[in-house]
Amino acid sequence: MMLGRALGFSAVLCAGIAQAQSPEALAWLRRIQDATHRLSYTGTFVYQNGSRSETSRITRYVDASGDIEKVEVMDGVPREIVRTRDAVRCYLPEARVVKVEHPLDRSAMAERGFPSFLPERINELAKHYDIALGPNERVAGFDCRTLTLKPKDELRYGHTLYADANSAMLLKAATLGPQGELIEQFMFTQLVIGGVSRDKVRPRHVAQSWRVEDSAAAPASFPGWGLSSELPGFRKVAELKRRVGDAGPVGQMVYSDGLAAVSVFIAPMEGRRDPAPAGLASVGAIHIYTRQVANHMVTVVGEAPAASVQRIANSVEFRRP
Amino acid sequence: MKDRISQLMDGELDDRAAAELIGRIGRGDEALETWRLYHLVSDSMRESRALSAGFSARLAERLAAEPTVLAPQRARSESRTWFALSAAASLAAVALVGWLAFAPQQGAAPQLARTATPQVEAQAAPAPAMAPSAANDYLLAHQGFSPRVSIQGMAPYVRTVSEQREPRK
Repeated sequence: MMLGRALGFSAVLCAGIAQAQSPEALAWLRRIQDATHRLSYTGTFVYQNGSRSETSRITRYVDASGDIEKVEVMDGVPREIVRTRDAVRCYLPEARVVKVEHPLDRSAMAERGFPSFLPERINELAKHYDIALGPNERVAGFDCRTLTLKPKDELRYGHTLYADANSAMLLKAATLGPQGELIEQFMFTQLVIGGVSRDKVRPRHVAQSWRVEDSAAAPASFPGWGLSSELPGFRKVAELKRRVGDAGPVGQMVYSDGLAAVSVFIAPMEGRRDPAPAGLASVGAIHIYTRQVANHMVTVVGEAPAASVQRIANSVEFRRP
Repeated sequence: MKDRISQLMDGELDDRAAAELIGRIGRGDEALETWRLYHLVSDSMRESRALSAGFSARLAERLAAEPTVLAPQRARSESRTWFALSAAASLAAVALVGWLAFAPQQGAAPQLARTATPQVEAQAAPAPAMAPSAANDYLLAHQGFSPRVSIQGMAPYVRTVSEQREPRK
């Protein structure tokens, strides 16, 4: 009995040393994920990147038939995003446009680790990040556990997560650069857990006469297209054809290390009004990089450092299958 | 008209309509081409080996000319690519054709395109290459695949490139 316990303890210790993370920290990551799927709540959060900050309201309603989540952006161009079981709808009242994203078949996605982590994906995360618990902190009136995910290389960002010590609800998430500098941050300023009724997640807009831009996503494969060298730890998790905005069909390949994801979009150049120059744009932790490959416009979008996104973009190639 | 030719082949047209359509086919215009094409597709689906000599080229041309097909108009020399496809000219293969839009035109040099400029591009001007609205469309298209959504819900969807607000009318 004693021996068993001692062995068990040393096994945990060894695993801890080998991977530099405590099972307790990984358990907290699972608790956060679980809370995100299980809880109904309504609150206000601030998104910050650089000198820019934007306030949004978020409401989540869960019942037996699934969950509905609504986000309303309160600053700048009005936007409302409503996710139901089968679609994400983004309402743009000033343009009178609804953009509809249909997730691919959920079971197929779940098999590949999406939309939620699977336990083995969390273990995979531990290969690329040191995951540890930090000191307790207060956020929006909640006592929070902090969880740090420190990347083992410069290909990905670091993260600090602040979760309510009781419910494990994520109150604050900060993305950090290689020197620990703040890249972007989501933080609740007010949150009420529970007590949400269904009418609170209905879209504000009727949108009957609005233009609908549907992603029309479907699984696909693009023989010949791929990366000449993959980014360490990033593997292909999805491949689909779809529309982006009101443009023609586009191929999308998604690579992920379990936490960060990078999408590679491939669109034929023919028929494009504007030749797209190569270049980089960014929003907080997301970088967008475009370049031309073999008569196609390749657009790479990912929540990873600029160099990682560029590396993926520059390794996109077409080999005649 | 394509529907009607399909109906004719399936014996679904009444005598008068059939006679009229057969007349048009007999005049050798587009109807004849469609009629021929449909029979070839139907033959190949039944694994008939009696495909006529120019089958793949004609199929390729017709598909390339289809307004609904996503492929750009392609060069004649592409028909070798098409032949491989037409060997299994099931409807599934036909559906795949649109996705050859993702295969570059003959003559494009992908390896060259990949290796010739990346170093220069890596230091490309920081100017955003696309309009904010286009960038936002790509952001929206990407977000759903980020595992962050599973720990953070929809909050990451608020990330957008700033847009100039149009004045309210």
